[in-house]
This record gives sequence, C-alpha cells and structure tokens, in this order.
Amino acid sequence: MAYKTVDRQTLEEVKTKIQRGMLPQWAFTNHDIYERELEHIYAKTWNFIAHESEIANPGDYVTRWIVNDPILLLRDKDGQMKAYLNSCAHRGMQLCSADFGNKSTFTCPYHGWTFNQKGELIGIVAGNKVYGHEMDKSQWGLRKIPRLESYRGMIFASLNPDAESLEDFLGGMKWYFDIMLGRTTNGMEVRGVPHRWIINTNWKISSDNFGGDPYHTAMTHRSTVELGISPQDPLYASYGHQVVLENGHGINLCTTKDGGTKYPYQGLPKELWGEFEQNLTPEQRAVLYKTVVFVGSCFPNLSFVSPMHGTGGPDEPLTSFVNFRTWRPLAPDKIEVCSWLLVDKDAPESFKEASYKSYIGSFGPAGTLEQDDGEIWTRVVDASKGYMIQHKDVHYDNVLNYIMGLDRVEPDESWPGPGVAYPTCYLDAISRAFYEQWVDMLLASEA
Amino acid sequence: MRLRTKKEGNVVSQLYDEVRDFLHREAFLIDNRRFGEWLDLLGETLVYRMPLRVTREKSAGSDIVEEMTFLEENKRSLITRVHRLNTTSAWAEDPPSRTRHFITNIFVEPVADDEVQVTSYFLMLRSRGSKEEVEQIFGERHDVLKKVDSSWKLTYRTIYPDQSVLGIRNISNFL
Repeated sequence: MAYKTVDRQTLEEVKTKIQRGMLPQWAFTNHDIYERELEHIYAKTWNFIAHESEIANPGDYVTRWIVNDPILLLRDKDGQMKAYLNSCAHRGMQLCSADFGNKSTFTCPYHGWTFNQKGELIGIVAGNKVYGHEMDKSQWGLRKIPRLESYRGMIFASLNPDAESLEDFLGGMKWYFDIMLGRTTNGMEVRGVPHRWIINTNWKISSDNFGGDPYHTAMTHRSTVELGISPQDPLYASYGHQVVLENGHGINLCTTKDGGTKYPYQGLPKELWGEFEQNLTPEQRAVLYKTVVFVGSCFPNLSFVSPMHGTGGPDEPLTSFVNFRTWRPLAPDKIEVCSWLLVDKDAPESFKEASYKSYIGSFGPAGTLEQDDGEIWTRVVDASKGYMIQHKDVHYDNVLNYIMGLDRVEPDESWPGPGVAYPTCYLDAISRAFYEQWVDMLLASEA
Repeated sequence: MRLRTKKEGNVVSQLYDEVRDFLHREAFLIDNRRFGEWLDLLGETLVYRMPLRVTREKSAGSDIVEEMTFLEENKRSLITRVHRLNTTSAWAEDPPSRTRHFITNIFVEPVADDEVQVTSYFLMLRSRGSKEEVEQIFGERHDVLKKVDSSWKLTYRTIYPDQSVLGIRNISNFL
C-alpha cells in the first residue's frame, strides 16, 4: 500500500509538516503525486515556453512542450504571437517536428492537411473529392493553447482558460524580472538556441535548489572554492536577502559580507548604466548595483541564475550572465532541462561574447557548477524510492529537514522590493513557501 | 573532404597509422584518467569547441548551431577543468565514471607536411555507480593535428554531438 495513492488527509498532514519545516521524502518519487502534479499544477498554471527574441520575425516558429503537450509557437505575418497544440486536427500527427524555423503554412505529413499561421485549415488533399457538406473547414483548425501572454519578453502559456493573468501570477517577481530583463531599453535576446539535456531527478528538487538553496554552494560547488574561484568563507553565499514571493515564487539576492562590491551592476558594461537610470526605479538600481548573484525560481519549474563567473582560473575577470531554464517533468525521476542564455541586446559584442563563455563554462551542461548540481540531484532521487521512504505515515523516519531559519529569522522591513525579505540567503523560507504552494494546489484538487 | 586511398602510397598509409595511434592513445589516456598526459597532447593554441545539434527540416539547412556551444575551450581552460577534477570535491566525477571512448571511421587529409585534418566518429559510453543503465554520447569530431618537435599535437577540435537533447546528465568527461 505504501507505494499507492495519497488522500486528502495525507496531503493535509503533509501541509502541516511543511509549515513546520518538514517534507516527506516520498514526495519526490511517488507516482500518484506525480500524476496529480501534471493535472493539478502543470495543467492549471502558467508555463514558460520561449523568449520573444526566438520568434522575432513573421513566420518564425519554435516547438516546445508543456510536460507532454506539444506546443507550436509562432509569430504570424501581422506580428502577433500564436500558440497551438502541435498536433494535426485530423489524426493527431505531430504537425511540426523541427525545433525551430520560419514558415507561412504547416502541412501534416500524414494526409497533407495544411494550416496557416492563424491555425486555420486551408488545404485538404483531394478535399472536394472525398469530403462533402460534412466538412466545415472552419471547425477543424489547429487547437489553440488557451492562454498565451508575455512579460519582459518571457512568453508563458497556460492550458487553463481560467488562469489568472500572467502579471497577477508573477506578482512581485515582476519587480525582480524588471531588474534582470528590463534594465536596458531594447531588452534581452536569446543567444543561439537553448541547451537541452536529461537528468534523472525530480523536477521539484531542481526548482527547490535554484529557488531557495544558496546553502548548497559551499559544499556542492566546493571544487570552485578549492580552485580559488569562489571565496573560502563558508558563509559567502549567505550574504544578502532571500525574498519569499506569492504563488510559490522566490528569489535570492546575494551580496558580499560587507555589502560592498568590486563589480557595480554585476560588471555590466558602463555603456549600459545610463539605460538603467531610464528603465529602473532608484530602488531597483540600488539592488542591481550591489547584488552579486540573482538566483531563484518561478513556480512551478522555471528557474534562473544571474551570477558573475569566470572560465579560465582565479586571476581571470568575472563576467555576469542571465540564464533561465525549465525543468520539464518526464517521469517522477526524470526531467528534461532546457536552458537559455539571455543577453542585453544593447550590450557591446565583446560583453555578449564574454557573457556567453561565462555561462557555458559554469552553468551549461558541461559547466563546472552545473555538473555537480545534476550529479547530486540524481543521487537524491536514487535514495528516495525505497519502501521505508515511500511509507505514508508521516513520521521522523521519512521527512526531510527544511527547518533552517524557521521562526528564528525576522524579515527585513527596510527591503525596498516586493515580497517578504529575510536578511540572509541561508534559509529554507522560499523552499517552505514553494512546497506549501505545491501542496495547496494538490489539495485544491481534493475539494 | 577527399578520401585518401592506399593507391597513393605508403607515406599516406604511415600517416594514417600515426594519426589513428594518436587518437587511440588520447582515448586511452582519458579513459584511464591520465589527464596530465592527455594535456601534453594538446597544442598551446588549441581551440576546442562543441556546438549544438538541433532538429531542423531538411530544406532549412544546417542542423548545427554554432552560436551556442557546450564547450568553447582553450588549453588554459582545459587545464582548469583538469585541476577541478583533481580537487577533492568534483562530485560529478567522484566516485569517478568508468568511460570508454570508441574512436572509429577515421579520415585523414594531409594539408601540409606537418599538418593534417582528421574526421572521426566517437561513441563514449559511461557507467556510474552501480547503475546498470549506460549513459552515452556520440557524434563526429573534426580535428587538426600539427607536428611540433616531431610529435603530433591537437590544435583544433570541433565536436558535433548527434543528439539535440543530450541523454547524459552532464559533460564532465573530455570528448
């Protein structure tokens, strides 16, 4: 019985545990939980699918997934973004199997039905000869993804027609997105295409790690300390603020021990500083000025990191970058990572190049930081499948420790941005809020 | 790339043998974690890249994206990577993976007395821990080898993986 279903009472117990800083370890690998997550979280909420610069021109398209739903996202000839189910309305064939391209129409390879950028069925092979009045072409267009909205170039889609607006969903995160994505006048662009790779872990582990876990850096990434790239001080990733936002979102704004910085504005080129004044409030500018690392997660599975890193060695200059990534669930113990490098369009080419090298050297799949994260997340799942861990009685033996800072760290009332800001990043506050949002959405399905 | 044949004589055949031995020795050193000796095979001005493979319609052209890479390295950054693997906390390779690099389909094209262009296929199989499952990565490499003081050195390598979504948890080994 231990491996099977969870009920409302179990979920309510889980919620109580989370509020007290404990998470049942079986939540990472339980199949019933996984199925509920797909239906009651991923099908209900907003999912990041692309950046606007990936479909900059009329006819540009990308194909993406919301878990198992294939998405065809395109820009039509009028410049409007459209998202359809990437599946032919006739027999369900995957309509477009390329990753990206530019097309005015999409023809299904199975029977040749052709759709235009408005999703309308405009061509049927031998249509007049095989179909009569029973065929109303206007009824057989591509199925539209119910909701499609973007903020600061970040395109989100939702399978839920009744989802709140994207801006309401993002809430206070918008203020921080503005700093990372809206600081320059022409915004950001994706370099190349995103990296994609598979890790055998659970999507919550990676979301939780980016969202609320600067504490892991001292040990997981100790190799960079040994190399002299990261500081020796085991508290180095704790300085700054951990900000808990609504809807399970959270962000850490890491600074230095004394709050000073050798690299104002993350070492972004001086040519851009004037644009920060035009596009950011004084409070946002002050935060950007002193923050060394932005790292966080947008519930459920969009994470980001904007650190300063180097590639060559301790004496090489550090360069910042903006990396967004999604953790697409493929199974309770498997995710596909999709990871984008974003750069300010207005930045000089030399900075764009340095930023790209900094990203692939640290957080691409060969990156010296990414390597050890993926390895460790795999080992968490490896250790979370057994009978003892899957047992549903929520007791000492199968809960994990999320008590850091519980009822002990008071919010910093002077923090200028939205959210509840705690004056340290060594804290499980975001993780607790993330899992509370998670269990609340699962509980809503029980109502 | 033009295919050389035996008809062109023993000089080419001997060159082919030297290049093949170089690539096999390189694979042996990496698989046996003799990274210091591997670094000795690399030229000082080495360019070592790994662009992304993507899925595109045939009519859309190349399925390689050069603007984004998995690796964009030089000798210095590879030395840093080796140093990192030699720390006490490079968990992606501790406990170490067991790897086998299978290097086949080697084409050698002499471009000068002391320089060859080489195309080869690679298959790296990787075993970690007690897992029965095998991680693998495969594709094609385009190399330039140069003779320096009568030894071949790798001076240019581009690695083209065949998967658009890598089925490997990370790239913590050399290819």
